[in-house]
Amino acid sequence: MKKTFAAILGVTMLTAPMAYASDWPTRPLTMVIGFNPGGSTDIQGRVLANVMEEFLGQPVNVVNQPGGGSAVAFTRLANTEPDGYTFLFGGTTALTFTPIITPVEYEIDDFEYLAAVALGQNAIVTSAEQPFSTFDEIIAHGKENPMTYAQQTPLDEAIIMAIAEEEGLDLAIVPTGGGGGMAPLVLGREVDFAYSGGTHAQYTPTGEMVVAAFMSAERSPFYPDTPTLIELGYNYSIEDYRTIIVPAGVPEDVKERLIAAAEFASTHQAFIDITEGNTFFPVVMIGQEEMEANVRRIRAATEEVMAN
Amino acid sequence: MDFSAVGAAAAEALTLASFIGIGGGVLLGYIVGVIPGLSRSVAISIAIPMTFYMSPFIAISFLIGLSKGTAAGSAVSAILLNAPGEASSAATALDGYPMAKEGKPKTALQIGLIASVMGDILATIILIFVAIPFARVALLFGPYEMAAILAFALVFIAGLSGGNIFKGLAAGGLGIFLGTIGLDNQTGLPRLTFGYTELMDGMPLIAVAIGTLALSEMFVQSEKLRYDRENMSVALKKDRSDRITWPIFKRILPTILRGTGVGTFVGALPGLGPSVGSFMSYGMAQKAAKEPEKFGKGEPKGIAASESADNAVIPAALIPLFGLGIPGNVSAALLIGAFAIHGITVGPLLLRDNPELLYSIFAGMILASVIMLVLGWYGLMVFAQITRVPPHVVIPIVIFFCLAGMMLQGYGTFGLIILMAFALLGYLMKKYDYSFVTFLVAFIITPMLELNLRQSIILSRGNWEILLGRPIALFFIACTALALVTLIIRTFRKGKPVANAPAD
Repeated sequence: MKKTFAAILGVTMLTAPMAYASDWPTRPLTMVIGFNPGGSTDIQGRVLANVMEEFLGQPVNVVNQPGGGSAVAFTRLANTEPDGYTFLFGGTTALTFTPIITPVEYEIDDFEYLAAVALGQNAIVTSAEQPFSTFDEIIAHGKENPMTYAQQTPLDEAIIMAIAEEEGLDLAIVPTGGGGGMAPLVLGREVDFAYSGGTHAQYTPTGEMVVAAFMSAERSPFYPDTPTLIELGYNYSIEDYRTIIVPAGVPEDVKERLIAAAEFASTHQAFIDITEGNTFFPVVMIGQEEMEANVRRIRAATEEVMAN
Repeated sequence: MDFSAVGAAAAEALTLASFIGIGGGVLLGYIVGVIPGLSRSVAISIAIPMTFYMSPFIAISFLIGLSKGTAAGSAVSAILLNAPGEASSAATALDGYPMAKEGKPKTALQIGLIASVMGDILATIILIFVAIPFARVALLFGPYEMAAILAFALVFIAGLSGGNIFKGLAAGGLGIFLGTIGLDNQTGLPRLTFGYTELMDGMPLIAVAIGTLALSEMFVQSEKLRYDRENMSVALKKDRSDRITWPIFKRILPTILRGTGVGTFVGALPGLGPSVGSFMSYGMAQKAAKEPEKFGKGEPKGIAASESADNAVIPAALIPLFGLGIPGNVSAALLIGAFAIHGITVGPLLLRDNPELLYSIFAGMILASVIMLVLGWYGLMVFAQITRVPPHVVIPIVIFFCLAGMMLQGYGTFGLIILMAFALLGYLMKKYDYSFVTFLVAFIITPMLELNLRQSIILSRGNWEILLGRPIALFFIACTALALVTLIIRTFRKGKPVANAPAD
């Protein structure tokens, strides 16, 4: 009797974590987006949520927590229960840049970087109706006239400020709160040029918006003729991996389920269609090990840039 | 108009899921409307968390269906109980209740329903035809225009709902103050968060809305319970002759059309709620009538005038919402929050970049009107019974939904504490006659106003002359100044509030 009981117990103990892993999740999940609705992170996140929902069998609700270039969202995330039910989808600049300039209540080690599914395409954009379209033309125009620039994060503002100082531009910088707020300002020519985290993909196919330069480390496969800032001789870049991030301490089997869902999404046609077709972000699948290294490498590099 | 998109939109509006969603919204709205003391904004604020599981189109149509349902349902209690379910149906009770007492309750209810549905459908059609060209024009608006219009809307709403400028300033100022809490838009530095991470993205809208609108209203209602006398509901009897006839319909049709016009006009202006619309329409119907002395004694035209205007306000209030992203009243302001939850920024770009969604919502709105007619017509007897549900049953249920709605937000205990704080604030504001409408609208539009004002100041580099090239902005700044001056004069002349706060 005792033996049977022990055997049952043993079997239960063996199967319990497995049952848990395949059962998880048992209630709806929350995907936190650190930007306003309408921007590229939001568009991708909502499709990703749908696809993950298909894989996990539970609703994935999207919650927008904009502010401080996702700093709000990360602060909230750092304080949530590490059960995997709440995770963030978005770029990592709030970890690789924001803590350098602003006191924040979180650090890189407070989170785990499960998987990157898309590569960011940060760009400098302008309206097609402006007298300038390339970055060199913007600089040339700016040397003669006062100009205006719409920022979205403290990081792109810092880079543009540094370039403006180097080139001697008279630049006024306005906040927009996100890609959704940037578009009308650029299209209405209220500002001369602006930062775009990817929203430009909605407006370049119609010919209304022009990408002047990429802030990413490499050229975009979707705009092969547009150079990067580095190529133009400005040694700045914003590397942006759209990553699924959880607070540190999530159980291994739960992480595995989330990573599996990310992998499923990276091969899912709906996710690829929207991400590559609508937001012009290349879909990738970068695993946890590489992402943990990437985040720390970018942080070190950014600290170096900001120290100068 | 893009007709293929319209066709696709109609197809989406006619799925089973949308029938259930929109029908559910209308039904819920109807019930809320029938129950006196449960108002439209209470229902919307409680229902927003329920929409988390719906698609954006169904969620928004559900909420709009809910608004429409409340406007139609409120006529039932106005007619049978002489206690309007909504302030905006108070004018309906003037003729509806006498008519019911005369033994024609069913006729009165049917007149109310037909006037509601017609006002609703016609105003929705006007919305569709006006919102689209309006949004095109609004695309030309930059931060200067938006800042000026937002400032005007704020002062105008404050002026209409407060009366006393000092109380208005206090309520609006508190709303603005609370609206500035959170991380700064540009620098990412925390403002007034006192180390609470929950406050970094601002005071949670749901806590502020449910607290000041719904929960505080339940406090007020439970207090009233102690003094309330028994209300006797007029019972519906089986009486073949008690129904609307073709001659009656023909007689009230011009009144319905006029009421729709008045309601649409009033709804499209920021700050004027359905109460203003229905009373204005009632007054105009009485003036135009051959026998004005019959009004107040069971005149069918009185019911038709009030109900058609009441319902026409709801779609019309969406004109500034879809065109500019600016809420005209509290219900519309709550819809902005609901759109945001579903990832949609309301404003002129919505039509440009996401027309299918907008067309689907329009189609959903028409569907809601039709469902309302069917539900109202065949459910007459059932809804009449709801007027007999006592408040001591209703109030605890509503309080439960308030708390559950807040818990769904994921703020935990912190959220409940904030909710309670705002409920107390709302209760005190209602008690001491501070306009919670001004407070709430100020709270909701402050982030928009701040961003646009900030953009304007930076872009103009502090140069006022730039406004001379911006006639629209200049016009609204002048209107704002005028509204302020009027408000000040009115306060000092009369020394007390002139108009009562329209609840919506």
